[in-house]
Amino acid sequence: MSRFLIFRLQPEATCPQVASGFRIYVASGCSRKCVTLAVALLVLTTVAHAQTPAPAPAPAAPGPIARMPDGKPDLEGMFMADGGGANYGFERRPTVNMTPGGRGVIVDPPDGLMPMLPWTRAEVASRQKPERGYDDPTAHCFVAGIPRSMYVPSPMQIMQPPGYIVILHERMSWRVIPLDGRPHLPAHMRLWQGDSVGRWDGDTLVVETTNMNGKTWLNEAGELVTHAQTVVERFTPVHANRIDYQATITDPLAYSRPFTIAFALNRQPDELLEVACHEDNQDLEHLKDVKDAAAAAGTSKP
Amino acid sequence: MNKPSVAIIAFALSLAAGTAAAHHAFSAEFDENKPVKLTGKITEMKWSNPHAWIYIDVTGQDGKIVNWAFETGGVNALYRRGWRREDLPVGATVTIDGWQARNGTTTANAREIAFADGRRLFAGSSNPSAKDEK
Repeated sequence: MSRFLIFRLQPEATCPQVASGFRIYVASGCSRKCVTLAVALLVLTTVAHAQTPAPAPAPAAPGPIARMPDGKPDLEGMFMADGGGANYGFERRPTVNMTPGGRGVIVDPPDGLMPMLPWTRAEVASRQKPERGYDDPTAHCFVAGIPRSMYVPSPMQIMQPPGYIVILHERMSWRVIPLDGRPHLPAHMRLWQGDSVGRWDGDTLVVETTNMNGKTWLNEAGELVTHAQTVVERFTPVHANRIDYQATITDPLAYSRPFTIAFALNRQPDELLEVACHEDNQDLEHLKDVKDAAAAAGTSKP
Repeated sequence: MNKPSVAIIAFALSLAAGTAAAHHAFSAEFDENKPVKLTGKITEMKWSNPHAWIYIDVTGQDGKIVNWAFETGGVNALYRRGWRREDLPVGATVTIDGWQARNGTTTANAREIAFADGRRLFAGSSNPSAKDEK
């Protein structure tokens, strides 16, 4: 059992079937024992495939949306974003040398482009210079903010105690999201992760986040938001193993209109692991070297 | 030398949405115009956050030994890919390719680690080979 009690113990009978082939899925609330068994079966199944070429049987169809006793969707479990390269830029682009490409995650506006104001575009271009890499707050092990916490390449665990949604982002942050209709924090309070409150819209969990501090970057491309940012996220379960995720970002100081990103959150046979980010952050020293060298050369401010 | 088992590698490959820990722009820190490919003996494998590091002694043509530091994905990413501490014992000979740091030190971002017997471990952090960056 995890020290964090991250798995709810339930009878083994509630564990899902192990799908054939290369994927397995573990239903939320599945016991740790079941997870271990499922992983072992996965390895055995996968090895068998590697050693004996044979047509892979069709994967088992995922089950229906799990539900809580009150009838609301049960979103609990470990999930990983199929983030489409959002952590390296929202717009569609090819891989260029060391910068990963992306399929483009913007679904509104329809052209898939970020509706940047001129100053926003100039600042983003500046942040893409090597000497600005040091300025990405996550390079300093700060939390990623909202919505970046959802698509940094680390998984998350969703928990659903009565009256709340709790998201434990492995990348060193969490959100406790009340569902009781309470108002946001006073406007003068500004937080790295903002203040999130949620509600159900049918089977869709809607989370509104305000009170952001404007210091976070949307991704490594330096796409930006200000303290005026608000985010409305929609979590719509599709089946037992997938949640369709959308986030609409409204930031009138930086963008000419709201825009929306979308991707899937896929259930993972996994558990949260420790991330002690500042343990050996040699990258920060290297990035500082690059920044200092640029300053010495007069191409940027120290 | 312990060998990463077929099961481990298969398991790693099966994690279709694995994680490649990356927390900064790699092209800011490493120079895409400075690819390196070096062979040497492992002196240390640091299972550290936010990235793990492999150190190897590389013997130059002049016989001089230089220690290089190769950055890999984060500990959790390596673990989820099936890497284990015993897979990279001190003294093992490996060939690592990647990109050198912009600050000019003997530091690089590793793409792939190849053992003398041909086995390969994907090391990538956030480069184009990061096939699990979806």
